Amino acid sequence: MTPRETLENWQRAGRKVVHEADSKDLLQQIGIPVPKRDPAEGRCVAKLCHDDYPHKSDHGLVRLGLSPQEANQAATEMAERFVGGTALIEEMEEGSVAEWIIGCKRDDTFGPIVLAGPGGILVELIDAAEIRLAPAGPQTAEAMVNSGPGARLLAGLRGAEPADKGALADLISRISVFFAENADLISEIEINPVMVRADGKGLAAADALIVLAPKANEQENLT
Amino acid sequence: MAEPNTNRMAVRRPSVAEALDALFDPSTIAVVGASRTKGKLGQAVLALLKSNGYRGKIIPVNPSGGEIEGLAAARSLEEIDGPIDVVVLATPVGVALDALETCTRLDVKVVVGVTSGFSEAGEDGHNNEMRLRRIMQDAPFRLVGPNCEGVVRPASDLQLTFSPMFNGLRPGPVAMISQSGALGGLMALRLGERGVGINAIVSSGNETDLTAADLLEYLGNDPQTRVVLCYVEELRDGRRFAEAAQRLTRAGKHVVAVKGGRSRAGSRAVESHTGAMAGDDRVISAVFRETGVFRARESVAAVDAVTALAAGRRPAGNRVGIISVTGGLGVEMTDLAESAGFEVPVLDEATQTALSRYVPFYGSVSNPVDLTGVVLANPTYVGRCLEAVAADPGVDIAIAIITFVPDQQFIEALAEAFDSTGKPILIVWTGSARSNASGEALRERAVPVYDSPARAASGLSALAATTGEVA
Repeated sequence: MTPRETLENWQRAGRKVVHEADSKDLLQQIGIPVPKRDPAEGRCVAKLCHDDYPHKSDHGLVRLGLSPQEANQAATEMAERFVGGTALIEEMEEGSVAEWIIGCKRDDTFGPIVLAGPGGILVELIDAAEIRLAPAGPQTAEAMVNSGPGARLLAGLRGAEPADKGALADLISRISVFFAENADLISEIEINPVMVRADGKGLAAADALIVLAPKANEQENLT
Repeated sequence: MAEPNTNRMAVRRPSVAEALDALFDPSTIAVVGASRTKGKLGQAVLALLKSNGYRGKIIPVNPSGGEIEGLAAARSLEEIDGPIDVVVLATPVGVALDALETCTRLDVKVVVGVTSGFSEAGEDGHNNEMRLRRIMQDAPFRLVGPNCEGVVRPASDLQLTFSPMFNGLRPGPVAMISQSGALGGLMALRLGERGVGINAIVSSGNETDLTAADLLEYLGNDPQTRVVLCYVEELRDGRRFAEAAQRLTRAGKHVVAVKGGRSRAGSRAVESHTGAMAGDDRVISAVFRETGVFRARESVAAVDAVTALAAGRRPAGNRVGIISVTGGLGVEMTDLAESAGFEVPVLDEATQTALSRYVPFYGSVSNPVDLTGVVLANPTYVGRCLEAVAADPGVDIAIAIITFVPDQQFIEALAEAFDSTGKPILIVWTGSARSNASGEALRERAVPVYDSPARAASGLSALAATTGEVA
């Protein structure tokens, strides 16, 4: 099934907010790296993904720093409490040097846009995010990781290791192209955070969310 | 698909370019609502069209016929023989809609709707708006407005407006598109006072048919246009506007825009941060920056930016040389330039030597240069000093600050200094109203002249944008 067919199926099924596990499956299909699933060893994170609870930590649906066995146990327990959810066990991303947010949405005036900036708790620094029209080509995406206060973070502040800006720019361009091509079906995509590793070591989307556009007949009813 | 019916008169909607070509260089203009009564819109439109020297055919349209402003009036549009390039509607809304409907049966290229009372009038205008849209659906002409102040094209002596704010403009490189007629008037008057030439002005009003993006594309492609100034409140086809702006700025032209109206920040975002972080106003700033549009915070700052850009000189860098007849103004200009990201570097030794011939020991020849009042003794000294600073290899932009000017030669010398270099020059003239000199030599050359350092700094920022990240 193509990513577009998947989106159409979701929309047909009446989904609005697509939970992390499904969103990540789709992102992986378009070439965006995600953390390793169901690892046999190492530290894990266990999550319960549910369309009705996009803010997982508010509901205690994220457990960090578990062994694989503990993660399985936690996932089973969360799944019992939140019926209809999907359990997700992933390797914990520990080698990253920067957390970034990448978002796409349809702007009322200019249509599809893409945004990138410091993620995680730094999201509140709203002036640090770079915004461009989507799709953003490779040059534009490169300008986005080299502009504004975020660029200094990625370059490595006070001796910190520089982040993999090339991988980040590639992700920005990829997701903005995908969004612009499917903006009739998607109203927003957000990856927050992307864990960006040191230069040359890539990145992984630690959390992701897709908000589907209302179906065509529902859109008419809105106006 | 069925073949179109070609038996009847060809009913084809003109393209934007066809319509605007006719609009800006019309041979026949009909003014519906032309009147002998002072104070009526139609009277004002007709009077301004005549008094500004339009040489084509003007036909007043008034049901009582006879003669208006010395021109033979038609009782209705139907009475007019042959094609009409432009029909101006300057009547109450009901009459205007009837006339618009009549136009669908005539050979008309473009209608300018000065009349108000449509979507901008809320509930009351709703029915008029519906009728307007119905007529425009398959109308064989294009529409500017309605609810606009009209169209001005100095090169064609064309003044299709009821507002005297646009009188006496000279032809030149600036095109203006304004969704507000009054702000358009404010900006036009101020640009005219500075000698900045105008290619065309369109007050686009409600943009029922022709939008700011259409006009930007057309006026931007005009080889006469160097700078497009836009006042917009709502961009109906924002994507096309942004793409058109990007093409212009990539071609080396400039777009300066003021976006009016309150921004709604992150109104609907509940599930994600993206919505909250990409509020309307932030997106506008970001897209303008990406596409090379210089965003001015309000209309007078936009005029200041356009004044600097219209001169057509691009700075090679961000180093500013400042000369002033007084220390204080030089200091203020330096502070403003530096906080706008410019450098005010120490001048080259050769420049300092050249300046020291004119500057007394209690002045300063570094930068900002304090010429002191002594230079007023000889009317050409300030001009010579400006030449010297502009010729400095370490200076990209030169600014001369003067206060009151004792005689005309003083201004001529500054104009000569402007001619001596290809670098951008800005002049701050704080006391033109208290001077025994005309600024005409400066206006003729469209030298950017400002009345305060802060306003010159707005011009400076616009010049900086031309060296910025825009490719």
